[in-house]
Amino acid sequence: MNVLDPGLPHHPEPARQAFRRLLLGMADTKRILGIRYSDWLLGAPSIEAGIAASSMAQDEWGHARLLYATLKDFGADPEALEHDRHENAYASWDPLDEPLPDWAWVTATMMVVDGGLSVALEGILEGAYEPLQGRMQKMLGEEEFHEALAEAWFTRLASSQGEGRVHLKSAVEAVLPATLSCLAPGDEAHAVLAEEGLFPGAEALRSRLAARLDPSLSHLGMSVPLEVALDEGWDSTRGRGPGHPGLEAVERARGDRNRALFVE
Amino acid sequence: MEEQVFDVFARKNRGESLTHIGYLSALTPELARVYAWKTYDEENWFEMCIVPRDQIIPVNRTDGPFAGAALTGPGRVDQGGRG
Repeated sequence: MNVLDPGLPHHPEPARQAFRRLLLGMADTKRILGIRYSDWLLGAPSIEAGIAASSMAQDEWGHARLLYATLKDFGADPEALEHDRHENAYASWDPLDEPLPDWAWVTATMMVVDGGLSVALEGILEGAYEPLQGRMQKMLGEEEFHEALAEAWFTRLASSQGEGRVHLKSAVEAVLPATLSCLAPGDEAHAVLAEEGLFPGAEALRSRLAARLDPSLSHLGMSVPLEVALDEGWDSTRGRGPGHPGLEAVERARGDRNRALFVE
Repeated sequence: MEEQVFDVFARKNRGESLTHIGYLSALTPELARVYAWKTYDEENWFEMCIVPRDQIIPVNRTDGPFAGAALTGPGRVDQGGRG
């Protein structure tokens, strides 16, 4: 088995397809997450928080671009992936389908969804696919600041006695189950990745997410469930639930409005 | 919880002196740490540090941005230096 070769040419086709699904899901999630963060450049609780949100948006878009470029090794056209896909083809994680309504929701998303993405990055980093290792290290270095910001705001809101705590708890309850499903579905494609040593199994990923999130979730009397049943309608092709990100976000991700004017 | 002011110091290369590059407001030191790194990101800093402004002890001035923590009593050095 030669795992140094880009695109896993020596792995069985189901493993290549499953790894492609994993990378595309992460790329799309990071792209849509970047859009959701960018919405909070204005309207965050402070100028500094808005700048941090904007900076994280840039990080996520940079990560997405790297991951899309990697998919070329799996036979995809990165240009087409970034600019020419129908919203139904997006594999971003379900909790990002709609805009984040308030800062409590932003905080829950930073903690749970962005945290889940980092667990996935770490899983790829320790897996057998070496061409991505250097890029994963860089991404994880940038993600350290996302985690620090998430934890600080989470603790702040969770320890308040007002509306912020109530909103935060509602947001976590809404985003956690779907995040767990997308990170660690345990379906057939995921099982193939684990068997090939390319990505940790579902149980390991859920335990890692729990280790990462539970100290913060405990402020709300919550913890990460270690068993999650996939929703009816689970889309095994995209590795997410039914539905897709809102059209407005996809149009921004593709650059529809202005690309037609300025790109040959 | 009130926001605190933190002053930001950084240097581009090992061996250079830390330079005051700006300030920010934050609820906690941990938030201030992230805000500093994300706000003052125009350089590829070798090192960045933050200091809560109320921990800076002015030596010779009783006015200006750092005067809030001026010592009173025996440790105080009055404005105007040794005279």
